[in-house]
Amino acid sequence: MPKGALLAVPATVVYGTLFVAPLAFFLVVSFWHASLFEIIPGFSLDNYVKTVTTYPRSIVFTLTIGLSIAALTTLIAFGFAYVIRFKAGRYGPVLLFMALVTLFGGYLVKIYAWKTILGIDGILNSALLGLGLISEPIDLLLYSSFAVVITLTHYLLPLAILPIYGALRGIDDLEVASARDLGASSSRVMCDIILPQAYFGIIAAFAFAYLISAGDYVTPRLVGGTETRMIGNFIESQFGMRMNTPLGAAMSFTTLVLSALVIVAVGTIFRLFLRRR
Amino acid sequence: MTTVQRAGWFVFTLCVVVFLIAPLLLLVLFSFGENRLTTFPMGGLTLSWYEKVIDWSSFWSAFENSAWVSGSVGAVSTITGTLFALFLLRMRARWAVPMLIAFSFPLMIPPLVIGFALLSSYTQVGFDLGLLSVIFAHLVITQPFVILVVYTRLLGFDFAMVDAARDCGARPVRIFFTVILPQIRNSVIGAALIAAALSLDDFIITFFTIGGGNTLSTLIWGMLRTTIDPGINVVGTFIILLTVGMTLVALWVTRYRG
Amino acid sequence: MTDAPLLQLRGVSKSFGPVTAVEHTDLSIEQGDFFALLGPSGCGKTTLLRVMGGFVSPTRGSVWIGGADVTRHGPEHRPTNMVFQRYGLFSHMTVRQNVAYGLQIQRLAKSDVAARTRAVLELVQMEHYENESVTHLSGGQQQRVALARALVMGPKVLLLDEPLAALDLKLRRSMHVELRRIHKAIGGTFVLVSHDQGEVMSLASRVAVMDSGRIAQEGRPKEVYQAPASRYVATFLGEANLLEGERRGGVITLAAGASFPHDGPDGTVTVVVRPEQLELVQESAEDIAIAGMIRDIIYFGSHVELHVRLTRDQIIVAQVQDSEQVGDTLRDGSRVTLWWRPDPRKVLKE
Repeated sequence: MPKGALLAVPATVVYGTLFVAPLAFFLVVSFWHASLFEIIPGFSLDNYVKTVTTYPRSIVFTLTIGLSIAALTTLIAFGFAYVIRFKAGRYGPVLLFMALVTLFGGYLVKIYAWKTILGIDGILNSALLGLGLISEPIDLLLYSSFAVVITLTHYLLPLAILPIYGALRGIDDLEVASARDLGASSSRVMCDIILPQAYFGIIAAFAFAYLISAGDYVTPRLVGGTETRMIGNFIESQFGMRMNTPLGAAMSFTTLVLSALVIVAVGTIFRLFLRRR
Repeated sequence: MTTVQRAGWFVFTLCVVVFLIAPLLLLVLFSFGENRLTTFPMGGLTLSWYEKVIDWSSFWSAFENSAWVSGSVGAVSTITGTLFALFLLRMRARWAVPMLIAFSFPLMIPPLVIGFALLSSYTQVGFDLGLLSVIFAHLVITQPFVILVVYTRLLGFDFAMVDAARDCGARPVRIFFTVILPQIRNSVIGAALIAAALSLDDFIITFFTIGGGNTLSTLIWGMLRTTIDPGINVVGTFIILLTVGMTLVALWVTRYRG
Repeated sequence: MTDAPLLQLRGVSKSFGPVTAVEHTDLSIEQGDFFALLGPSGCGKTTLLRVMGGFVSPTRGSVWIGGADVTRHGPEHRPTNMVFQRYGLFSHMTVRQNVAYGLQIQRLAKSDVAARTRAVLELVQMEHYENESVTHLSGGQQQRVALARALVMGPKVLLLDEPLAALDLKLRRSMHVELRRIHKAIGGTFVLVSHDQGEVMSLASRVAVMDSGRIAQEGRPKEVYQAPASRYVATFLGEANLLEGERRGGVITLAAGASFPHDGPDGTVTVVVRPEQLELVQESAEDIAIAGMIRDIIYFGSHVELHVRLTRDQIIVAQVQDSEQVGDTLRDGSRVTLWWRPDPRKVLKE
């Protein structure tokens, strides 16, 4: 055993028994099947077949709305991190501070805040009515895909800013100066110098935003409508009403694998875009 | 940069800042509003919702549970995470980086999946649900944060000091407490506060692993599902103050400059 | 305008808020010059270089290159290229990708890019490292890549911002030889910023000594060394002993005791005496000799530095050949007489 390996023991125990083992067990369970009030070990792909045949629309909807949320979040986060690193000068730390302060604040609290803002009698509508900008309340604000996208983007944004800012911070100002000296325009500096070096930060932020939103069920339940039922809602109901853990597990892994595929695809397209230049 | 570009960046930045902060500020504002509905005009200012919440025993038991969970999670994950960061530091970068990524993996898994998987494992091994099962569950997502914060700090640590301490005859444990810990103390405290804030922030994993009983976040969940009760604004404000407060202190002690 | 200088600064000033980095500077650099801006840190030499490269726009004044006003042009639109002190290599690219980058922006044919990249890598002797990541290179190798990346663009003016400051002494010496070779080989125009007078003496064909945002003196290094215009220039470019004296009726009498004829108005003067001008003599009948006591002897291998105390508060440094006398009759405490041939160019009116 290498010297100092004892230091790794506590964290590895936590990681192994509370993360790796439960997920591995969950994976195994996804091949079992549930009968009335108990689950029976075995090996069958039934749950996976059931997942894709019973919930195809909701899976596609989840993957699509996840893509809009993750894309929007990453785009705004990149812009904001870019401002902090390259444009804001001495105000940069203040902006970073703003992002960090809103890192937490309660997941449910944030969703609830948006519910009160976007509701038909909500803050936004009543403010717009009061200002005379609209004559009828807009009822599409809440209980819609729009509300889900806004709410999750708000929740994920501070967390997406951090890895991107971390990557941008690693870029030397001199590299930007050198590129300009060699004749690069601002857009070429962006594509040749900044984006390639921020690649992993951007992909990390995108993957994080995608996976968390694809696996969410509270947001669509509280601010989404009937047409915005995401796969998470059905996974949660396997726990809630039906106690069908094997099916819930199979749905979870299906979502994870499909999300991972989307992320890899996006990462590859982004990389190809950068290399083409 | 032309004036138009400058103005464009300014407007964009302003919008993002408002987008990030306004919802939380509005919630705090409406916790003082007289009206039962959270709409404009909000009516006069009142502390009556606060009085109601303060007199409400469920709130205090949820608060006590949250305090236990966040406090324990902060303490335990700080110890395990700091030790692991010290371990990573002894490894070559080509091993340390993949391990860091692997140990950060729980942050990428949706809380729903972590919560559900943990619940079925707890059930399988017959582990009783309660505050302890919530604390264990939260360690999974807070430990990576501690490792990241402390490891980053240790990377900037001058190891000539450790050599000097060894030269003076100090043994490893003594070196840790007399040389390393005093230097990284602020980062460790900051990491502990972030871990506690993250624990307080979580709802989904708590909901799956708590069994009976309430923490502040599951209490809000109950309030959200039953009535539109302006008390939510008060409890929400309370959570915002706690988490933002902890984050502020954490930023201050770590002297975070980005 | 074929007779116009290649690069010209006309009345350039630059302030950063309340701080003035460069004050009303005129400067002309000719085709083929190896021009050095010499000065201590904070004297404004790097700002001046960045003004030339277009990274800093001057508060007042204009920059002309090849007869065209380029004051408002950014670095991407100027026929200049810069080698940065900390190199600024693209850390995510290989050596070859770094060097080829600027050519690719010009949309040259692939074969052209490859050929020119190859040629310039050979020029800086880095052709065997072309596929290495730049982060794996040593400081000296990174320096060569940075040089190649700028040179490959065929700049009208190559700007070098203390390019060798991060290298150790031996490497720096060999890079001096390299830079001279490259300058001769391509016949280009180089502008070098440095605080190292030895570097400037060995490299530059012209030098401007800068002092707090202004050019104190400009000329060929040898001229500036031999005929410094001020105490500042005399002490910054090379070692100098400064001797105070008085001129009356065409004769200068030094406080330290010597006197020699020198035309000019009456008043106080400062005489610059370079250490290598001083010679050890036996009792001298001539007036232009000063006596003192050796306080310290420092060996430099080929020569010896004698620190000689003349009066209570003046110590003069003399550089003499090593000989058997050193350590024998020449010891700490020995009394010696020093003589030099007065040089009228080294008398300052101060």
